[in-house]
Amino acid sequence: MNDILNNIFHSLARLFADLEAWLAPFLPSQDLAAYLAFAFYVLLLLGGGLVAVLARNLVRATLGLIITFLGVAGMYLLLASPFLALMQLLIYVGAVCVLIFFAIMLTKNTSDGEEARCPRLSNLSLAGLAGLAPLVVIGPLIYQGTSSLVTRRPADTVANLGEGLLSIDLLSFELISIILLVAMAGAVYLAFRPHGGRAR
Amino acid sequence: MDLSLAIFVQIIVAALLVIGLMVGNAVVMVYMERKVAGFIQRRPGPYEVGPWGTLQALCDSMKLLAKQLYRPGNVDIILYYLAPILAFFPVLLLFLPIPFGPYLTALNVNEGIILILAFAGLGVLSNLLAGWSSNNKYSLLGAARAVSQTVAYEIPMILALLAVVFQCGSMDLKNVTEQQGAWPWEWNVLTQPLAFFIYVVSLVGETNRAPFDLPEAESELAAGFHTEYSGMGFALFFLSEYANMLLVSLVAAVFFLGGYKGPVADGFWWIFIKAYAIMFFLVWIRWTFPRVRFDQLLNINWKWLLPLSLLNLWLTAIIVKLLI
Repeated sequence: MNDILNNIFHSLARLFADLEAWLAPFLPSQDLAAYLAFAFYVLLLLGGGLVAVLARNLVRATLGLIITFLGVAGMYLLLASPFLALMQLLIYVGAVCVLIFFAIMLTKNTSDGEEARCPRLSNLSLAGLAGLAPLVVIGPLIYQGTSSLVTRRPADTVANLGEGLLSIDLLSFELISIILLVAMAGAVYLAFRPHGGRAR
Repeated sequence: MDLSLAIFVQIIVAALLVIGLMVGNAVVMVYMERKVAGFIQRRPGPYEVGPWGTLQALCDSMKLLAKQLYRPGNVDIILYYLAPILAFFPVLLLFLPIPFGPYLTALNVNEGIILILAFAGLGVLSNLLAGWSSNNKYSLLGAARAVSQTVAYEIPMILALLAVVFQCGSMDLKNVTEQQGAWPWEWNVLTQPLAFFIYVVSLVGETNRAPFDLPEAESELAAGFHTEYSGMGFALFFLSEYANMLLVSLVAAVFFLGGYKGPVADGFWWIFIKAYAIMFFLVWIRWTFPRVRFDQLLNINWKWLLPLSLLNLWLTAIIVKLLI
């Protein structure tokens, strides 16, 4: 039975290879497909970001954030790092966003709340400045062109990632862990409630 | 990544097959659930429509198809209609990396299990959106319960699977299967009994099945997050719920019970027999145990399953390190 299936699959694979050779002039090339995918992910990123910022309702804003995260995951996929892309989905969409949702649900959520008011001009301009701030770092890179800066890292396998985190990137790994630990300790301190007392 | 026509066609064919599998699975499971529930409670179950009531599930699905879509007032329209769609479509993707047979895998990826876990997270999201957008207190409470439960039970589940990944040194589902033998004493369940136990318990919590079905506990919450859905909206939730059950059972079969390998001849029949044995077990405990309270549910997870799974992971790591 399995041999028969195997034969069928192999002949199908041959058939498709022939079909592909015949269709080759009509199909988008690898490069074009990559550009199309890039454009799609950029659209997801920008559209999701705009929804997240402009939505008048926190749940819809979080949905925009999720779309942005999906776009980021797609970018990782395009950079040939499927493991990072899946981790992005697992952690950001599956855990972080769900926790944000949870926090929203625990609060009283009305569509005419504080977040629904039109912000003042000074706030808007400050927000615009903050949004442009990363350009200070990224701008020169864009100007120079980044192709000379990219060094090929070893393939994105889990083993390579693990070895990298515990050898070359050990310091940054530990620093990030400390930041997370401090954040967690701070959250526990803020929420801690002695018996009979009130939260600080 | 290799873009080729064959892979596209393969994925499309696989998606169509998976839709068929999901629908067929729901019909079979509804019949099994009602029949087993009947036998456990000493009554015949459905027996009127068709021989031994086998057509009952088909009639039920026809009824759901023909029902009017009723939208209550003041719901968030976009999110209300998005939620059932979001519940249904990620599940399609989840079946792609499962090796149903030696050659029957839709998508060969090295990180198959991560793919499944990552897109399984979208399911919770759909429950949440459904509960929130319905503008109903029962729905909202059900959704809030669904989140805290699923987020909690995901952790021991992943840690239990991670122990097997440590042991096999691979996240590829096919590779994990290949490292097990055909006979029950060559399966991972013998080397990882604690992980299997933790996985099965958290599987019940993850799929919102009784005794852990707090998000849709009908005696307290009407129907939980899908209270306000009728017709196809409800049917999509229903389908994806049963598909999720099948999926976690298939993953259990692959990781602990030797996947498609079995005595006499390897093939998809073995993985389905094993997965449906686990599903039968799920149905069995649903009609045997009473529903736990919500604090009990979370206590089981955080005070027992999580420490146990961490201990199991630690022991596995030490043993693997010593043996290699």
